[in-house]
Amino acid sequence: MTVVGRTWDRLTIPGKVLAVVIPLGAILTIGLAIVIALVGGAVVQFLADNLPLVRFVVAVTVVLLMTIPSAFLIIFMEMKVIALMNLRYGPDRVGPFGSALSVVHGLKVLMKEDFTPTGADVPVFTLAPVVVYMASVMALLVLPFAPGLFGQDFNISLLFFFAMGGLTVVGLLMAGWSSFNKYSLLGGLRSAAQVVSYEIPLILSVVGVILLAGTMSLNQIVLGQAGNLFDWYIWRQPLAFVIFFIAVTAEANRTPFDLTEADSEIVAGFATEYSGMRFGFFFFAEYVNVFIASGLTVALFLGGWNAPFNWPFPVTVALDPGGLGVGLLLLIALGPPLAVLILGLPFYLLNSRLPFWQALVIGFVLFNLLAVAAILGLAFLSFDWVVGLLWFMGKTYIFVFTFVWMRGTLPRVRIDQLMGFAWKWLLPASLVNLFVTALAILVLAK
Amino acid sequence: MSFIPGLGIVRGMSLTLRRFFQPKVTNLYPEVPAEISPKFRGRLQLLYDEHGALKCETCFQCAQACPIECIDMGGVDTKGRYAVHWGASETYGERREESALRRAGRTVPDEAYQHWSPIDTGPVDAILHDADHDPKRMLEILEATQAAYGYLPVAALKRISFGTGAWYAMVYGTATYYDHLRFQPLAAAGAATGRERSSADYLSGLDRLSR
Amino acid sequence: MTTARSPFDIPAHASSDDPRVTLDEQLGVFEPIPPYPPRTEREAEFYTLRDGEMFLNMGPQHPSTHGVLRVVLKIDGEKVVDIDPVLGYLHRGVEKLCENADYHQAICYMDPLEYISSLFCEWSPVIAFEKLHEVQVPRRAEYIRVLSGELNRIASHALFMGWFALDLGGLTPILWSFIERDEIVEMLAALTGQRMLFNYFRIGGVNGDLNHEFMSRLGTWMSKATNQINSNQALLNENEIFVRRARGLGVMDTQTALRMCLTGPNLRATGVPFDIRRAHPYSVYPELDFDIPTRTEGDCLARYLLRMDEVKQSLRIIDQCLHEMPDGPVMAKLPRLIRPRPGRAYAAIEGPRGQYSSYVISDGTDQPYRMRIHDPSFIHLQSVGLLMPGNLIADTMAIMASLDPIMGGVDK
Repeated sequence: MTVVGRTWDRLTIPGKVLAVVIPLGAILTIGLAIVIALVGGAVVQFLADNLPLVRFVVAVTVVLLMTIPSAFLIIFMEMKVIALMNLRYGPDRVGPFGSALSVVHGLKVLMKEDFTPTGADVPVFTLAPVVVYMASVMALLVLPFAPGLFGQDFNISLLFFFAMGGLTVVGLLMAGWSSFNKYSLLGGLRSAAQVVSYEIPLILSVVGVILLAGTMSLNQIVLGQAGNLFDWYIWRQPLAFVIFFIAVTAEANRTPFDLTEADSEIVAGFATEYSGMRFGFFFFAEYVNVFIASGLTVALFLGGWNAPFNWPFPVTVALDPGGLGVGLLLLIALGPPLAVLILGLPFYLLNSRLPFWQALVIGFVLFNLLAVAAILGLAFLSFDWVVGLLWFMGKTYIFVFTFVWMRGTLPRVRIDQLMGFAWKWLLPASLVNLFVTALAILVLAK
Repeated sequence: MSFIPGLGIVRGMSLTLRRFFQPKVTNLYPEVPAEISPKFRGRLQLLYDEHGALKCETCFQCAQACPIECIDMGGVDTKGRYAVHWGASETYGERREESALRRAGRTVPDEAYQHWSPIDTGPVDAILHDADHDPKRMLEILEATQAAYGYLPVAALKRISFGTGAWYAMVYGTATYYDHLRFQPLAAAGAATGRERSSADYLSGLDRLSR
Repeated sequence: MTTARSPFDIPAHASSDDPRVTLDEQLGVFEPIPPYPPRTEREAEFYTLRDGEMFLNMGPQHPSTHGVLRVVLKIDGEKVVDIDPVLGYLHRGVEKLCENADYHQAICYMDPLEYISSLFCEWSPVIAFEKLHEVQVPRRAEYIRVLSGELNRIASHALFMGWFALDLGGLTPILWSFIERDEIVEMLAALTGQRMLFNYFRIGGVNGDLNHEFMSRLGTWMSKATNQINSNQALLNENEIFVRRARGLGVMDTQTALRMCLTGPNLRATGVPFDIRRAHPYSVYPELDFDIPTRTEGDCLARYLLRMDEVKQSLRIIDQCLHEMPDGPVMAKLPRLIRPRPGRAYAAIEGPRGQYSSYVISDGTDQPYRMRIHDPSFIHLQSVGLLMPGNLIADTMAIMASLDPIMGGVDK
């Protein structure tokens, strides 16, 4: 047995992984550098020529990746908030306050058996979760998160949004029909009936906002609400806001309108026969839909990324690192070690039992925290999309909390009550709202 | 139900929000064990008196009264004359407890018995060093140890387990697999003449075959 | 038979060894049709589908059938046309088991019958045995029985509230009511030694006097019980969605209720003030002051609200028991093995679900010759056949929950 072989045998499994990954990474990096040096210019030129296409691809990728952490966060919120309302602790073992539990659920779902029932319509059964999930992701594409931070901005983005919301139903219907299960069938049919009924008051309630803003571009609608708290459309369209919120709850299949997956009636509705990651897609899509519903409510009625008041003390930062010259290089080279030393030294001096290296580790951690805080603060001050994103996310998560809160409180309505409510109350109310808005615009314009 | 539509819903929502901030009632079980009342009679164990002996008197009353016959026990009568038994054979730890065994008329293990006695571990350490502390050379190590001590003392096996990182059970399993390895000195094992063919013979035969 | 058929084209009463049914259909299709030919006209009528109808098999593993009840629904869209409940998934033959146990042993078979209100299951056979053996129960034992029984009634009704809300889709009330029940159950565990299957009542008294832990737990709970129960109910009683769903659902008029032999809260919700505690008094109930709440609507909401009113009366009874509890023994002097004279005895009590009663025949040995248990869950469950058809699928489980059957008692 050679020396190399014995050394390899004695490595632990992480050691073996690292021993492979580090050289491989080095080789790949060098190779990539060579490739970029050879053909980089041409590729950059091609991308610059097709900028809209690049933007679209990047936006779809980013939005697709963004759904995963936001769904995890909302799932965690749902578990924790409902638990606290039930006087339980909820998840508290994995991660801080149990926040990693939803990630663990995601991994568990990945590892489960992917089961297809006998008699299922296999292609439709396989495609249904994809349709549902992709519809949610595509709807997220037009949501404006912050000034300049949106996937695509076109002049019919609101229409696109509702079209994608309608596509979700197709997926649910596919799942319900193809599962070869009567509970699934009932769930699919219920979702179709429910969503078709609630699309009408949903869109009619938004028409008032469209009249006010004069555009269907979500970005323009948010821009139209710039100013302070009282410029938001909720003050000019309170009835529309209520109708919209109820209808969007039904669209997202949330309590009290979660008839499609009513577990005490039709076991899990359309998702009864799904397992593994296919069920995971449905589950993810549901929570992405909650995020979308909240985000859309915020964008249409609550000013989107606009702050509710103007910050009274404007702070501007003017940093010119280039002006330092060689000093910048010195700062980069000497600053961090010096800062680590200075931050760690008090711990070493004040605690005689602490070894010096531990004091250095503490100093390193502190320095990193400070550096991250400084960079974030700088970003907060320098780019207005950071502020906008914070406001947008804050408002959105208040609505997400409301959805979860409603789930923790309310019982479920019956299907005939659901339909009657949509057609007898919401539809006339939204029509009245539309006529009153149009009349007011006409009168005020004259 | 109130006259203002939605007021009941709003009040329910405010109630859940108040509960959201109230202290929680869950028992954090592994950290905080559940409070079991002294009268609780669901515990699946026999009770001990203040001297540490089992309280059970083997009177069979419980086994007789048990409607689903889940209690079984064995014992001797008060004069120590008849070994009586009720139900299936003993399975639980408490029934192997000393007082239970004594009452049941069974042999009680001797506390004075010791599994292994300390030895001088110098030769084993030298052998381990020569073998590079490699658990894959276990047979070599064990044979050298037997050559050094004349047999495989338990202390030496423990030392080998410690030195190579192999579990004791694996070391012991390896040692018991080969017939030419012994756990007692030859004198203590008696005159082991006319032995059957051992696995060492099979191994050497295999060696010859493979050549 | 080579062409693929829709699952709904399978002929009624096609058994698995019918040559018309292909292997694929056997594997893939489950129609809840019995494999044997119809035995009655009703069965033949039920298992024949008209146009647009289909079967939906609810249970025995459905999340909300309260145990292992199976209900075959014949539905037209969302509407339930007809139902066929299938019982027996939890049958243990308790009555027969009691014939092979002596009188003391028979009592511990009673606990798992209605596992939510175990004390009441013990109570009626214990009274029957006492009548058979002509035992005089000490007054303190009677008061303790009433006290623990009313606590158990509150626990049972609290759980009913949670289940009913859960079947209507509310997530939270079930956990709040379990908190309530857990406090009571811990209290009873301090008194009886077990949390669920108490096995506390004995022939001639109870097993053990009140102890300090029970009294301190009871005092802590009583000081906050009214507030807590009212606050828990506020979530549902005022909620428009809940009230609109439960009102007018599963209406039972008085005549039908009497014809279907309903007792307990389900009967009182139709306006009949029949309570065995007053109608045929037993134990010390004649000495206690409490009302019998009645409602006249007879729907699910009335049944729910009536139970919530009963909780308040139970609290009153507990209060009086604590004040009037006499001193003395809790167990009559009895031989270890009782051999009553040959004869028969019947005892009925008012449980949280209605009339529990037992009928015992003794042949002079130490074991009952015959023992019959009348369980209200089983009697009440037969009225789902009247209440469920015509409603929507969503309401089937709500109607069943409002009758509050426990499958352990139904299947015995």
